Amino acid sequence: MARAESFYVPESNLWERLKTFINAELINLFAVLLFLLLVIFLLYPIIAVLIKSVKGPQGLTISYYLKFFTKGYYFRSLTNTLWLGFINTVVCLVVGFCLAYLTARGPLRLRKPLKVVSMLPLIAPPYLFAISLIILFGHNGIMTKAFGIKWSLYGFTGVVVAQTLAFIPLAYLMIENTLRSLNPNLEESAYDLGASEVRIIRTITIPLLAPGILKAGLLVFVMTIAEFGNAAILGGRTPFLAPDTYTMIIGEADFEMGSVLSVILIIPCIIIFFLHNYLLTGKKFTTIGGKPVASEPRKMTPFVKIPFLLIGCFAGLAIVISFGVVLFASFTKILGVNNQLVLTHVKNFDSNLAIYNSIKVSLIAALIGAIIGTLLAYVIVRGKFFGRSFVEMVSLSGFALPGTVIGIGYLLAFNTPPFKLTGGIMILALNCVFRFLAVGVEAGISKLHQINIEIEEASSDLGANFVTTFYKIVLPLMFPAFVAGFIYTFMTAIVSLSAVVFLVSPGFELAAVKIFDAAVYGEIGVASATTMKLVIIVIICMAVLNFLTKRTGFDISQKKGV
Amino acid sequence: MKGKLVLAVLITIFSVAFITTDGHAQDVRVYMGLSPENNVKVVNFVKEKTGISILQTFQSFGEIEAKVKSEAPNFNADMVGGCGSPLAFMAKKNKWSAPYQSPAWRGVNPVFVDPEGYWVNISNFSFVLVGNKDKLKEKGYAMPKSWKDLLDAKWKDQIVMPSPLSSGTANMIRYAFLSLYGEEEGWKYLAALDKNIHHYTRSGNAPTDLVGRGEFLLGITSDENVKKRIDEGFPLVWSVPEEGTGYDGTFAFIFVGTKMTDACKKVIDALGSQEFSDMMAGIGYMTPRPAANALYGKITPKYIKLDLGWAAENRAKWNDVWKEKFRTEFK
Repeated sequence: MARAESFYVPESNLWERLKTFINAELINLFAVLLFLLLVIFLLYPIIAVLIKSVKGPQGLTISYYLKFFTKGYYFRSLTNTLWLGFINTVVCLVVGFCLAYLTARGPLRLRKPLKVVSMLPLIAPPYLFAISLIILFGHNGIMTKAFGIKWSLYGFTGVVVAQTLAFIPLAYLMIENTLRSLNPNLEESAYDLGASEVRIIRTITIPLLAPGILKAGLLVFVMTIAEFGNAAILGGRTPFLAPDTYTMIIGEADFEMGSVLSVILIIPCIIIFFLHNYLLTGKKFTTIGGKPVASEPRKMTPFVKIPFLLIGCFAGLAIVISFGVVLFASFTKILGVNNQLVLTHVKNFDSNLAIYNSIKVSLIAALIGAIIGTLLAYVIVRGKFFGRSFVEMVSLSGFALPGTVIGIGYLLAFNTPPFKLTGGIMILALNCVFRFLAVGVEAGISKLHQINIEIEEASSDLGANFVTTFYKIVLPLMFPAFVAGFIYTFMTAIVSLSAVVFLVSPGFELAAVKIFDAAVYGEIGVASATTMKLVIIVIICMAVLNFLTKRTGFDISQKKGV
Repeated sequence: MKGKLVLAVLITIFSVAFITTDGHAQDVRVYMGLSPENNVKVVNFVKEKTGISILQTFQSFGEIEAKVKSEAPNFNADMVGGCGSPLAFMAKKNKWSAPYQSPAWRGVNPVFVDPEGYWVNISNFSFVLVGNKDKLKEKGYAMPKSWKDLLDAKWKDQIVMPSPLSSGTANMIRYAFLSLYGEEEGWKYLAALDKNIHHYTRSGNAPTDLVGRGEFLLGITSDENVKKRIDEGFPLVWSVPEEGTGYDGTFAFIFVGTKMTDACKKVIDALGSQEFSDMMAGIGYMTPRPAANALYGKITPKYIKLDLGWAAENRAKWNDVWKEKFRTEFK
């Protein structure tokens, strides 16, 4: 009753009126605020790139685009990039599927090791594989010398192999996630009705996994064509769009052509993003509703098991060997020349500041990103304002935006007052926040869709105001999504290169950039040692995070929420 | 619920502490492009001599030039501690650099100091030819005596050199050959050389490491890291072919508008000392004050006759020609 009274009495009481107003409108206030943030830190930089690409010294011009399409070099760069993206996506999806299937349904003994190995590349910069390929197959590499292999590593094939190995875990993670939440009943029934395993995979498993596979494909494609570390180190004279953009901006300050290349790079990503959204409409939540049954799935038939094992183990072995040789190289005096074990590279502490900065930036980004992501998810699902689906689209667009483009956008947008952010640490963190926001938002949305709104309604019917309801009901329920956003942002931010490489400044350099530089300069020992230090630090951070979340009662791996 | 609260508070306190502990306010931010390890040596020298901490990221000369151009006039650094002649001359012309007549630079060979004080040149460096001893022996090839020998088809895909777009060394290589052979013949030489180049690296020192590790047979590279790599045990041979080599300075200047002018001046002072020249000569640089050179010894290498001002003026034009010739294919 108290609440009902306070509704009518407070005409004179400003405070009460304000409270009522906030209660009713808080969600919309949040929506406006978050939307503003998205506009400033996600849309504005992209628009800045677009504008730069058509703005000549005398007004609007398409001359830069004409240049792009009339010179064979750029065109070859485009076709190379698209081929790379296509091949990589297909291979990563196939291998990712095999690995996911094996870790979910395969031989028990292999599940855990395969899972660990498939996730391993996530904790290292993607161009670790460029370094390891040079160590193994370079002109003076271990394999080249031992077996006389004549593989010309510096070119298209080298880049494809390195990128594939780097992005297998992404495909694996997405597919495995969907696979685990899949209801095995359908498959079981198909078995009982006598269908072969191949047929079940083809007609039941893969169609049910479609959302996960599509998402994995989108992510792998975007990451492959944007993360340019491998292409810059191994590309030789083969042109690719992302490293070319990098050279243009960093080496020549040719912002106009750099912007054109960025816009061209966005187009295939946007197409795939919309295609993916279109294909998934109406399919989105069919698999999440299913309750996984505890029963152990049937043994795989040899006809399926052997090829899957071959592919899975080959990929796993390649990943393990890559990490192994990089570890070896960080203790080797001069790789391939004098393989004496030394500690000089490990004891080179020039990169300490960079590593410290990397941790700092990633933690700041993860915290801000997780908060914004959770709030955004709430606003998108529960809000009832105009343009809600637009906000959702913008906040999920991070999936489809190549890192190079966001990096250049930030450089263009925040280099002059009033938005002067370059030359500081916050620009690095903010750029990571908005690039990796999509995962937290999506985790939050899917979590909220599982929570019945009646719980919140019950709470407010019992007299709790919006803030109390949010704090007591919504936050605890959404905490796993918060943690998921935090961890994803942290892990990706600490190893990613493609955007931050444009934004580092004296005193604010990052480990990922330092390693990339060392690798490009040919200093394999220093590059390897720094990579290993970074990997160890990421592992420690993950262990601490895991411990903290477990300790506070929130298992990050739990799928069903509270 | 309690656990969550504790965790949230912990995270908040932790992050706030992390964000606010920025102890770099008193440090000088410097763009430097010597080589990653030589940068560190200069930083340590300045720290020891003046107590000033330098924050730096290594970038190639061309990259520093691009960065300064794109940032002007809101520079994200206080000074430049190592860039090529094109940027130093450009900065003077555009008044991006603040003039400072350092007393510590008196008595230095005048070519190392701008008469109006807009820049100082902390050391000259050159380019040399490096080869991998072991690999050359394996193939039975001798080290080329003349730059023209590099055009032999047997070196196809075996030579690496830096890209003049990003590297100051490569810019120097380019203007040295254009000076040596004249513009027309010079481009012909570079085009013929291009047929044997495996790829162009980003930094001028990269070929030293690549050839040293045996990835490639020959490299045209900056002389900055050569001595150190040989001392470390890389199987490198180096030479200055008979036509001679080029040179460029490593320029330092203070940005207009910095809040750290006094500290920057102290840094410039330190770079003019005899000890600094001694240290740089120990690496292999040609220094403003006379010092025993560790790479070339007593013999000064033969230099191609150069006009750095002319080279700096033509850099943009030559970059376009270079791109048209070696990168952009009209098909």
